Amino acid sequence: MSDKTAAINNLVGIAPAVVLSHGPTKILLDKYLWHSPEAGIVACYTPKERDVKDHFGVFRGVDQIEAFAQATIVSCGAFFERRKLGCTFEELKGIFDPIFFGIGPVRFHSYLETGDTFISIGQITFYKFRQVICNGRIYKTPKGLDLDAYFSGFNEERLLAYDLSNDFILVAELEDITGRALKKDLLK
Amino acid sequence: MEREQILEGLKEILKTIRTVDQSKLTGITEETDFIADLNTPSTEMINIAAKAEQKFKIEFDDDDIDGLGSKVKDFIDLVLKAKARA
Repeated sequence: MSDKTAAINNLVGIAPAVVLSHGPTKILLDKYLWHSPEAGIVACYTPKERDVKDHFGVFRGVDQIEAFAQATIVSCGAFFERRKLGCTFEELKGIFDPIFFGIGPVRFHSYLETGDTFISIGQITFYKFRQVICNGRIYKTPKGLDLDAYFSGFNEERLLAYDLSNDFILVAELEDITGRALKKDLLK
Repeated sequence: MEREQILEGLKEILKTIRTVDQSKLTGITEETDFIADLNTPSTEMINIAAKAEQKFKIEFDDDDIDGLGSKVKDFIDLVLKAKARA
C-alpha cells in the first residue's frame, strides 16, 4: 500500500519502512498485524543474523525494547501526526524525528533467538503534544502460525486482556514506554 | 488571569503528580525549575501541560510545548499566551 493513500484507517498493510525514519539495518519490525489507532497495535519481527551477531545467537533485551518502541510509540505517533497534519509519512519524516523519552519497568520472562518470530503488543495509555506512552508485552509466537489470519479477528477487548492462545510465550512486559516526535530544527 | 493565580493553580496540579518532589512544593516561585529544583522527570512536563489545559480551560498548540522552558515562569507565560489566543 502506498504512502500516498488518501485516507488510511490503520497501519495494517503498510510497510514499516514507509512509516519509520529508521534505516533498513535499524528497523526491528517486519509487519503490522493489527492496529486500532486510539487503543493500540500488534506488530511482529523475526530477528535476523545481524541482530544477534556477537551476542551468542540471542536477540538482546535492549533490542526488544527498541523493537517494541518502533512497533508502538513510534508507529502510532507517526499515524497520529500524519492524520493530524494531513500529509504523507515521507513528508512527516522531513519535519520530525522520533525521540525515545523514557521507559518504566521492564521484566523479561524468556528470550528470543534468530528465527524466532515475536509480536509486540502495545496499549496506548497517553497521547498528546506528539508524545505517546504505551504499556505492553512481547510474546514469542508459535512456529508456523499464520499471524495475519490469527490477528484478523483481534479486537480492543482482547488487546487490553492480552488475550492470546496459550502457545504464545511471554517474553517481556514493558511499562511507560515513552516517545515523542520533535521537530528537526529543535534537535540541531 | 493574574500570574499569581496561575501559580496557585499550578501548585494544585503539582500536588497530583506523584513524580514531583512534594516536599519542595511550598517554596515554589516563578524562578523554580521543574527539572532541576523539583526533580520532575522531563516526560512528566507533558502530563503537567495536559492537566493545565483542563484546569485553566485553555488549549496549547503542539509547537507551544516544543518550545516550553523548564522554569515555572515559562509555564505561566505559556498559560497566558494560550489565554490570549482563546
